[in-house]
Amino acid sequence: MSSTRNIADLNQDYRDRYGFADPEEFLLKAPKGLSHEVVEMISRYKNEPEWMNAYRHEALDIFLAKPMPRWGDSEALDSIDFEDIHYYLKSSEGAANNWDDVPENIKNTFDRLGIPEAEQKFLAGVTAQYESEVVYHSIDEDLKKQGVLFTDMDTALREHPDLVRKYWATVIPSRDNKFSALNSAVWSGGSFIYVPPHTKVEIPLQAYFRINAENMGQFERTLIIVDEGASVHYIEGCTAPVYSTNSLHSAVVELVALKGAKIRYTTIQNWSNNIYNLVTKRAHAHEDAVIEWVDGNIGSKLTMKYPAVVLLGERAHGEVLSIAYAGDDQHQDAGAKMIHAAPNTTSRIISKSISKNNGRSSYRGLVKVNRGCHGCRTNVECDALLMGDQARSDTYPTMEIGENDVRVEHEARVSKLADEQIFYLQSRGIDPDQARLMIVNGFIEPFVRELPMEYAVELNRLIELEMEGSVG
Amino acid sequence: MTTEGKPVPGKSDVRRLSEQLGEGEAALNARLAALSTYRARDLPSRVDHLWRYTNPVHLLPGDSLLSNLSLPDTTTTSLPTDEPAVLLVPGRAPLLNKAAEALGLTIAPLFSDDMDAEALGVTTPSEAGLFASLNAVAWNTGLSVRVPRNLRTDLPLRLLIPAVAESCLPRVLVDVAEGADVTVVEEHFGGKEGHRVIGTTGILVGQGARAKHVVVERWQEGVNGWLSVQSRVERDGSYQLACATVGGSRVKLELGADLAGQGARSEMAGVVLGGDNQFLDHHTRHRHLCGHTWSNIDFKVALTGRARSSYTGLIRIEEDAPGSEALQENRNLLLSDTARADSVPELEILTDDVSCSHGATAAPIDPQQVFYLQSRGIARDEAVRLVVQGFLESTLDMVPTAVRADLDRVVVERLAQLGESP
Repeated sequence: MSSTRNIADLNQDYRDRYGFADPEEFLLKAPKGLSHEVVEMISRYKNEPEWMNAYRHEALDIFLAKPMPRWGDSEALDSIDFEDIHYYLKSSEGAANNWDDVPENIKNTFDRLGIPEAEQKFLAGVTAQYESEVVYHSIDEDLKKQGVLFTDMDTALREHPDLVRKYWATVIPSRDNKFSALNSAVWSGGSFIYVPPHTKVEIPLQAYFRINAENMGQFERTLIIVDEGASVHYIEGCTAPVYSTNSLHSAVVELVALKGAKIRYTTIQNWSNNIYNLVTKRAHAHEDAVIEWVDGNIGSKLTMKYPAVVLLGERAHGEVLSIAYAGDDQHQDAGAKMIHAAPNTTSRIISKSISKNNGRSSYRGLVKVNRGCHGCRTNVECDALLMGDQARSDTYPTMEIGENDVRVEHEARVSKLADEQIFYLQSRGIDPDQARLMIVNGFIEPFVRELPMEYAVELNRLIELEMEGSVG
Repeated sequence: MTTEGKPVPGKSDVRRLSEQLGEGEAALNARLAALSTYRARDLPSRVDHLWRYTNPVHLLPGDSLLSNLSLPDTTTTSLPTDEPAVLLVPGRAPLLNKAAEALGLTIAPLFSDDMDAEALGVTTPSEAGLFASLNAVAWNTGLSVRVPRNLRTDLPLRLLIPAVAESCLPRVLVDVAEGADVTVVEEHFGGKEGHRVIGTTGILVGQGARAKHVVVERWQEGVNGWLSVQSRVERDGSYQLACATVGGSRVKLELGADLAGQGARSEMAGVVLGGDNQFLDHHTRHRHLCGHTWSNIDFKVALTGRARSSYTGLIRIEEDAPGSEALQENRNLLLSDTARADSVPELEILTDDVSCSHGATAAPIDPQQVFYLQSRGIARDEAVRLVVQGFLESTLDMVPTAVRADLDRVVVERLAQLGESP
């Protein structure tokens, strides 16, 4: 274990060797690129406990040792220059510093979505905080009364170290994949939620209610623990495009639902089209627990994201409901994984994708039933809609069934926007553009109806924008 | 010589084999060209899903690859006299019976004329993979069947390919000219512990031609093998493949059809019956290279004992293939709690004007169906057999009637064997 020793040495003489008295100062001048020094800086700056520091360094070694995945969009992955990225940025950096620098099309989208100006600036990263203090405070009071912990990850590590350490990386270890290793080495920000036993959190918790700045980081780390019989609905992201000058986003999200608990995790990602979005999301569902991932991917250059549920206890249920929209030059490689590791567990995956012009959307999924897990049922449905003769759709499902007393079903359909449907609507006096939009809205309706109302409205408007001028 | 499980023949070995088979210059040159491709190739990557479930080393022949071609006469399988048949045994010229000669086809050893090299390049290019290039280097029994224009044969032509040698590398080319219609039944059987088979079959289906192809694999236990069946279908041509895999210990079959002209059709029906410790791995691929083409795959798997099946199937519709329709279905019936089935049905659609769907399922036998049959006085074993037969029925219905009876026989025999083992 020579690398461990090296890290220890590094820790000991770090102060002497680099001698920075004011880490914040130093960070502002931090060069691009990835190294043990950078990792050490992040950890020192955050004043983290020793175990986290060691964990980060070990993860970096794993990241450096692991080869780049050879599946998915290898070409795009190979084009990422890891030396050209800032691995730690204070939230005021990375995003545009000036409202004038925010690209025109993004500003227009904000306007069209009807987002208030203060919020627009927040979403574009010009201001670091969304001014929702009043709303936040009343929610905060309620949560405190219930004993619910809801903070950003850095605060959680400071204030609830034992709880964090108990569950940290238990769902997604750093060596899970190259990008989980990267996140483990340089993570920053993200949400931490703990819901005590038999507590139902009535209102959905949203990342941007949090007053802390670092909720939109590139390497955010989210950990949600819901104790026995409790439930929570967490919402991350938003329909408005999130603009960042940094091109790599690699989050790790871990959910733990203990006996009888329920977690719904809703994401709508609309990264601007220069971003690689490489995210690892996984949940543990214990006995009778329910996990639901509601996952919408609209933006980014390349998204590779496969929310997973490991069904660990009897009668646990996992569900993934996702849509992907791949417009010009976009590749949405999304999917879901269900691992049935206990008897009588059930799961369902519904995936909808739309590819427009030369966009490419892929469903990539895994359903695995371990030996001895009798009575499991799982159902996978993939629907793809193609618009334009350059559009591409792929379906790569994998089913590994090691038990006979199970029901596994998978179905996929790919079709284009049907001329006869448009014709029918036209015959009723609806113009072709409007008709196309209606058909697309109908196609994604099963997803939209699972969203809170304000998100549903925004998503519909966004699809309308994306569809504009599309010649089916 | 082998390196990391990959046998590496030298040029002199290849020359000796070519001499032994009495080949001409063209054949030897094709082998030597394939040899440099083969040498440059690594073993297939296990990361890639096509080889995730099967270790390629288990299928490759060892040092016996280029030796042991002088087999005793007792290994000869007798040819039937009443139906057209050809026997393919390593190291010997294909043996035809009178009925086969009377069909009016040109049936000859492979590479008896130079056109074979070109035709084989279309269906089984040596760049296709390590196994395909190994076959191109070291095949030791080869046959070319040419069906002249507009010739329609009623009787199926049987190709009997026993796994008699330690390393059997059969290579078959069927070239069906414009407007012709032919049925070819390829039977792989026999062999014993340790025998390896690396076989390729290429089928060219000309304009408006029709080829019905049946592949039966019923090797003895202990035989491991890799078989590739690749076809290319031209305008308005039609290709029908029925494949039954029941034998061998570790088996991988790659079945592919390229739809290369408008109106081309391909239909594949697969039946897999596995028991004991068998590991049966199948890959199907339909590539729509041209618009207004149609394909369908129905793949059924029934497993008992500790048998394991892996099925990966790809439908790819290229950019210039609008108006294509492709269907794919894979159903798995698991008859024991130690059987295991993997299924990866894939779609790659590069244009929008298509209609494409696939489905996959895995489930145990329906106890109600078995119970119903039992209530009618049928013993449990027999009832299970009947339900499995019923499960396979709709797929077997796709098989050309001329050979349906043979396939039914193979299935019934195998089901009876599986019933006997606990």
